[in-house]
Amino acid sequence: MTIAERLGTVSYRNQGRNDASAHIHVDTDICNSRCPHKGTTYMCPANCYTVDAEGLVHFQVEDCIECGTCMYACDQGAVTWKYPDPEQGLGVTWNLG
Amino acid sequence: MEDKFDCIIVGGGIAGLSAAMVCAQNNLRFLLVERGEFCGAKNVSGGVLWGTELARLVPDYWKAPDAGFERFIRHRRLTFMDEQSAFSLDFKSDHFDQPPYAGITVLRAKFDNWLASKVEAAIEASAFADESFLVPDVLVEELLLESGAVVGIRAGEETFYADCVILAEGVNNLLTRQIGLQPEYVPADYVAVGVKEVIRFDQKVLEDRFQLQDRSGLSNEFVGFASQGVEGGGFLYTNLDTVSVGLVLGMKDLREKGGPKPYDLLDTFKRHPAVADMLRGGESLEYAAHVVSTGDIRALPKEVYADGVLVTGEAAGLLLNSGKAIQGMDYAMHSGILAAEAVAAAKQDEDFSAASLKRYRDALDASYLMQDMRGFQDAVHLLHSPAMFQAVPNLFCDFGRQFFTIDNAPTRKASAMLKDSIRKHSSFLEMMKLGFKARKL
Ligand SMILES: Cc1cc2nc3c(=O)[nH]c(=O)nc-3n(C[C@H](O)[C@H](O)[C@H](O)COP(=O)(O)OP(=O)(O)OC[C@H]3O[C@@H](n4cnc5c(N)ncnc54)[C@H](O)[C@@H]3O)c2cc1C
Ligand code: SF4
Ligand code: SF4
Repeated sequence: MTIAERLGTVSYRNQGRNDASAHIHVDTDICNSRCPHKGTTYMCPANCYTVDAEGLVHFQVEDCIECGTCMYACDQGAVTWKYPDPEQGLGVTWNLG
Repeated sequence: MEDKFDCIIVGGGIAGLSAAMVCAQNNLRFLLVERGEFCGAKNVSGGVLWGTELARLVPDYWKAPDAGFERFIRHRRLTFMDEQSAFSLDFKSDHFDQPPYAGITVLRAKFDNWLASKVEAAIEASAFADESFLVPDVLVEELLLESGAVVGIRAGEETFYADCVILAEGVNNLLTRQIGLQPEYVPADYVAVGVKEVIRFDQKVLEDRFQLQDRSGLSNEFVGFASQGVEGGGFLYTNLDTVSVGLVLGMKDLREKGGPKPYDLLDTFKRHPAVADMLRGGESLEYAAHVVSTGDIRALPKEVYADGVLVTGEAAGLLLNSGKAIQGMDYAMHSGILAAEAVAAAKQDEDFSAASLKRYRDALDASYLMQDMRGFQDAVHLLHSPAMFQAVPNLFCDFGRQFFTIDNAPTRKASAMLKDSIRKHSSFLEMMKLGFKARKL
């Protein structure tokens, strides 16, 4: 099963709303200047952190399933982690959990 | 203050709902705030709720056809695996077949929601039927403090006040960190990440495949190839017409190994012959992931109480992962109950200072929960040792392969086979050291 298929089974809130507010902010300058391991790019269970062909780290919050992993995996201080706002924010609603 | 509650509970997971139930039963005037669309909407577990305490909160719960649990555990299995083989300890007993069941499988979106409905009913029956509330879909952003004591919460523009606040916010405990009971940054050393899938079957197929009677079920834990060299293990639990299958992976080790990704590990685990045979023909309904604590006592918050505040469940780091089971939900339930009892007692004394709320800490210390957490630290550390999640499973499987092979050659003594397997995958010294550690379990 691919990660895209997997995430296809997840119910998200406010999906596709372009005014939805992001609950996680990543200072990718830190990722791309001094992170020795780029841990989040292979630890995020929703593949929100990716590395492009040039080796640069990118972050997108839309697929985030609020697991919390990046809050611990990043020891470089690049991740500012909050819970999404129930009204304005993104995030998940588990059907089974 | 007119609209001041006796208690505000942050989080409608198992810890929060258990606390709420006891608050209602003690006729306290309380508010529970949950950020999910409904209680359970944000929660993930494996999961087996161990112990019988649910029966204390909801007597005879198993008798209701609509009870929020899936199956009770009658059949347990612990499997050691290498790439091709699985060597299991298997235990099935009618001893487990009687209520109050000591282990039930749950799906949190369903279970927590059901438990919340029971709390609603308890509120109805309490002295504050119209003045206690369970409010979903609201995020608590901040704890309000006055002269160092917690006095309420802020959600958006709104503030609510109470004599005390019970934090039941789970492992990603931002509010516990806000008031300094836990450092702002918690290192990867003390947490794991759990990934899982819920896979659906025709109920009859599931019951036949796993030999389930009525509502009986199987819990199966896995070590070894399950996590493919990463510290951790796997699980497979039967629900009514689904199976929960997943991995719990040590976060620091995952980072140090530099990959593979958790969901790729999950795929490989699902393809292992022993697992694939159990999952054949199933349809994946939902993928989920969540951080889970490791039960390392060094990661506990500085304290579980302060002026006007109590910390419960995984927000307080309360969890035991002993390898044969994860106990996070029963710990959440028990600590939630103890915290609410402490609040009820503090209400009697009209004293919500730290000195008064310390009774919660004392009750925790005296409970099975802190005794086990302290007593089983060796097991927690043992699980972190590569010997345990690599050498031992390989050794068992190697031995199993020799022991169960019958070919046209003279059969060797089992002891010789075992010696062989130990030499191949470890050393006698290593095994003696491990045995010495395991002796304390
Ligand atoms: C993959 C996996 C498998 C597991 N398997 C098992 C198992 O088999 N058995 C077992 O016993 N345990 C298991 N656990 C652990 C168990 O799930 C947790 O220990 C348990 O859920 C903790 O309960 P809790 O009530 O403390 O926290 P949670 O269940 O996390 O509940 C916290 C609640 O607080 C809410 N919340 C948080 N912050 C706020 C806020 N600011 N405002 C409003 N609401 C808020 C959340 O939305 C949530 O509903 C597993 C965990 C994982 C991830
Ligand atoms: S670990 Fe932190 S700094 Fe490194 S890539 Fe990930 S977010 Fe960036
Ligand atoms: S919280 Fe989890 S899913 Fe969301 S970005 Fe971080 S690691 Fe990925």
